Amino acid sequence: MLEVSGLRKVYDGHGRRVEAIAELTFTVADGELACVVGPSGCGKTTLLKCIAGLLPPTAGEVRVDGVPVTGPPPGLAVVFQEYGRSLFPWLRVRDNVDLPLRAAGQRRAHRDRAVAEALDAVGLADAQHAYPWQLSGGMQQRVAIARAIAYGPTVLLMDEPFAAVDAQTRADLEDLLRAVWQRLGVTLLFVTHDIDESVYLGQRVIVLSGSPTRIAEDVAIDLPATRDQLTTRGDPRFAELRGQIYAQIQKAKSRSEG
Amino acid sequence: MTIVRRTAVVLALPVLLVVAWWFASAGSTDFYRPPLSRILAVFPETWLGARLRDDVLPSVVRLLLGYGAALVLGIALGVLIGANRTVRALLEPVLEFLRAIPPPVLVPIIALVAGIGDLTKVIVIVSGCVWPILLNTVEGVRAVDDVLDDTCRSYGIRGVTRLRHLVLRAASPQIVTGARQALSIGIILMVISEMFAANSGLGFAVVQFQRGFAIPEMWSGVLLLGLLGVVLSLLFRLAEARILRWYHGIRAVSRES
Repeated sequence: MLEVSGLRKVYDGHGRRVEAIAELTFTVADGELACVVGPSGCGKTTLLKCIAGLLPPTAGEVRVDGVPVTGPPPGLAVVFQEYGRSLFPWLRVRDNVDLPLRAAGQRRAHRDRAVAEALDAVGLADAQHAYPWQLSGGMQQRVAIARAIAYGPTVLLMDEPFAAVDAQTRADLEDLLRAVWQRLGVTLLFVTHDIDESVYLGQRVIVLSGSPTRIAEDVAIDLPATRDQLTTRGDPRFAELRGQIYAQIQKAKSRSEG
Repeated sequence: MTIVRRTAVVLALPVLLVVAWWFASAGSTDFYRPPLSRILAVFPETWLGARLRDDVLPSVVRLLLGYGAALVLGIALGVLIGANRTVRALLEPVLEFLRAIPPPVLVPIIALVAGIGDLTKVIVIVSGCVWPILLNTVEGVRAVDDVLDDTCRSYGIRGVTRLRHLVLRAASPQIVTGARQALSIGIILMVISEMFAANSGLGFAVVQFQRGFAIPEMWSGVLLLGLLGVVLSLLFRLAEARILRWYHGIRAVSRES
């Protein structure tokens, strides 16, 4: 379970005080898939870094499985947007997935199995001996997902992971992610600026306001659990939810500009 | 490009220069500028006999010891300084001063302290080689990618594992650049340290020949030093190709796209 309560983040530096996050409180239940959307520059990455324990909040608290976050929590994995910069270019695909497990001091036999399973789950069993830069962008992001899966987290954070890949690859990755999430039962918080993506993926969409950030709306996505690029996106309910979130974001934008 | 063609391109200019030297010096009667044929004629007897063990080997051993020590020292200090802002602020002015001192000036001073044995020569080589390695390592360590660093933090990769798999690898292109500069400095200092106070070594032998007016032998020593430099830089390239395989790979990929 992921609990965010009264989270606030103010950047203070060079005589300029920027209030990135005003106040955020929400809970993501065990095994839930929640998406966070908001207008660009609304502090989505700041929120994610605070949850991941990479950035100390100015006020408020984050709890992962009931334990307050003071540094990167052991049961939490992050998939970053910049796959090209989050994979180790000097390690082969297999070793990229393996390194966090090695650092955790896991046994060889256990690691080998976890790495093989994770690569298999993202369809990259054949590419394990390649270097990341020999792969396409979509495949590199799959490696990053495999690394997160192999780590065996209870909470998985994703920061606009599919923003830099082409549309078709993106659709494939979305379906892959849904499948992996359903199989692992992991708690997943998915940050994106793409409204369609958030509705397609999430059980729930948390809509953020413009900076300084608050929660504008918390929308339950009552689409069938089995989703499909054609039928789900063609569902009238999908269009309705998308419209609702779109209107909310437009409102948030005009308020922060005005 | 095929291997044959590439070899031909690499060798074209050296061969041309040797041929030019050969013919330009062929009829020379100048005592100080003997024909290349004479220099090459004295080469085997001068260097392949006892001198190989008495002069060439000690020189190479000193160079490798000094260069190796400079690598260890430069990388270790560089990581320490690069990773810590306070240490960096504290040491930077001193480092700039020390770096600006030409190492040959240190030879008489070091000889006073460490005597005229091998130790002095190794110290001189270290004192010159360490700077490019140290300063490049500092830059490399400072420039470690933020996202990669965050990745390590969130996956609990720290301590020695982080040093080995993130810091040293990320800084390796810069470290290699520094090490390459240091190698040529090392060869220069090896020769210079042997010219001052020594009883063996390549630099010592060349000076001996010059003082004894053994001019063709002296030239052959210069030739040998050049060849030694070529061999060492070839070995360096082989090591670099292994260590920076990923780096050259990325560059090749991004050139194609």
